[in-house]
Amino acid sequence: MVASGQEAPRDWVPVEHRFLGLDRRTFKVGFSALALALVLIYGLQGLNAAIPWHNEIRAGQVLDLGGGATAVPPTGWQLENGTLTGDGAASATNLQVVLATGGATIELDGTSYDGSAAGFLDQVERSEGDPPSVSGAQGSVVTDAGLVGVVEGRTGPSGDGIDVAFKMAVGTTQAIDSAPALLVRVRAASGQFEKYQDAIAALLRSITPGVTR
Amino acid sequence: MTVVPEEKAAQLSAIEESGWGAPYRFLRPDNVSFWVYVLGVGGGALTMLRYYGPGAAFYTPALAGGVVLFGLYLVPWFLLLRHHNRFTAQPGALLATGFIWGGIAATFWIALPANAALLDIWAKVGGTSFAADWGAGLTAPINEEWGKAIGLVLLIGLAPRLVRSAYDGFIIGAYIGLGFQVFEDVLYVYNGATQLYGVDQLGSSLQVFVIRGAAGIVSHALFSAIFCAGLMWVLGRARGERKVLRGVLTMLMAMVFHFAWDDMGALGGGTLVAAVLPFVIAAVELVALFYVLRHAAGTERLWIRELLGPEVEAGVIDPPLLDAVSGLRKDRTKYRKHLHSRTKARHLVEATNDLAQEIARAGGAESPGVAHARTELSRLRGDDPALSESR
Repeated sequence: MVASGQEAPRDWVPVEHRFLGLDRRTFKVGFSALALALVLIYGLQGLNAAIPWHNEIRAGQVLDLGGGATAVPPTGWQLENGTLTGDGAASATNLQVVLATGGATIELDGTSYDGSAAGFLDQVERSEGDPPSVSGAQGSVVTDAGLVGVVEGRTGPSGDGIDVAFKMAVGTTQAIDSAPALLVRVRAASGQFEKYQDAIAALLRSITPGVTR
Repeated sequence: MTVVPEEKAAQLSAIEESGWGAPYRFLRPDNVSFWVYVLGVGGGALTMLRYYGPGAAFYTPALAGGVVLFGLYLVPWFLLLRHHNRFTAQPGALLATGFIWGGIAATFWIALPANAALLDIWAKVGGTSFAADWGAGLTAPINEEWGKAIGLVLLIGLAPRLVRSAYDGFIIGAYIGLGFQVFEDVLYVYNGATQLYGVDQLGSSLQVFVIRGAAGIVSHALFSAIFCAGLMWVLGRARGERKVLRGVLTMLMAMVFHFAWDDMGALGGGTLVAAVLPFVIAAVELVALFYVLRHAAGTERLWIRELLGPEVEAGVIDPPLLDAVSGLRKDRTKYRKHLHSRTKARHLVEATNDLAQEIARAGGAESPGVAHARTELSRLRGDDPALSESR
């Protein structure tokens, strides 16, 4: 076959359409797609950063931990995730609560775990491998409602904190082992933990198991 | 062979307009869409590695279970989508490009950070209870539908001749959506395992597979097929297909379906309605899907008729076969009944599709491929017993 000499090879870009090795005719579609992607990725993150939190905990408000379990959050902290009692239904085995204030956060994560609170805390640590922090000895914490939790302190380059594991039931070993588990994680910037210690202790003491357990 | 010039002109016009037979080349360093695609998939792959990396060793059973189960889940999906990739069928490499965009770029580069930001915004604006009830449904339809549709836009940039009709948008959208769906499913398997801190990983991955697999029948592949067909109507890249209102309404419909699916709990309100709502929504979605498919296929069906017009005139194919090839399911059923043989009808329809493809590849000219496809049709019809026996 002899080439006609009039038909350009496939994908040939005429010189007047070239810019830095790119075909200028592809700019409109390509850059439109890029602009839309950047708006979705960075535009929304920028908007989020520009909007402050206004979900401050007021006196008398109570956190719903699912299945009737509750906790009293510290007033003045921002509720960034989670449900207050009367606002909806939380699930004890699929719970995520985040409270934050300047320099500290408290996360309450509910899940299902068959076993003791100490076993649950061990499982949490195994799943996270070797965190960049030093953990202290384990101790016990008892809430006003009689829930017994296992507490462990942590110190690392990003700050201090504690992990507290609860099984959300009181009574027989069998009832406790089969109850939902709750992990309370407190993280504070270096040197800030002492400042929030009383508020954290009050929250831990206020945790109650569900009435139906 | 006598061919009416008008029909030949219509055939050449259909080939030109549909772009069928044009080769697809992904590596186009002179094309901006290629570099945006590379950026998106590269960024998504990095995010994916960072997401799974720290826990990959501990959560290997869950991840492996998720990959295997949802990998198998893809098989029937690919068979179904292959069946619908008819008329001026898209090349496999182009569909694979869309699938990877949906799985890696749309999921990890766009949806993961964008969803986190918008969910926070809803919690800040409406409170955490509002966000818990409605946040997912007010977030995913925006970020995920547009994130996936960017893949279609990039494919228009990469293969402008091939991506022309609303039906092209429908099929490519389905592949992009399917990619998004299975990669997101594996993400859910991983998240499910981390939520249980690694207890019974295989059990939890199986549970996610059953729930997400069933819900996936009317999920991202369906949403994106509808949304991308709508986007193609808005863009109007084929003659007579610019239907902005229809396109916008179709895109909104896909977003409403996505909203309804994600906020089903809040819509049901914990009542008996919640139990039947998934089935009602699924039924409405499927009806809408076939409605969109039917309308999106109109232009492609016309192209096929025009492309095969000269072959009908030449007696290579008869009008009932043309109706079956260019028609919908009912037309193919009618043709089966006409022939009294399901197998023969299926073979003839497929062989005619082969002929149409060879004609498109040859740009309407004669070629060895076209000649062979005609011979195959003749053999299947039993026109030449000697030829038939020799095969």
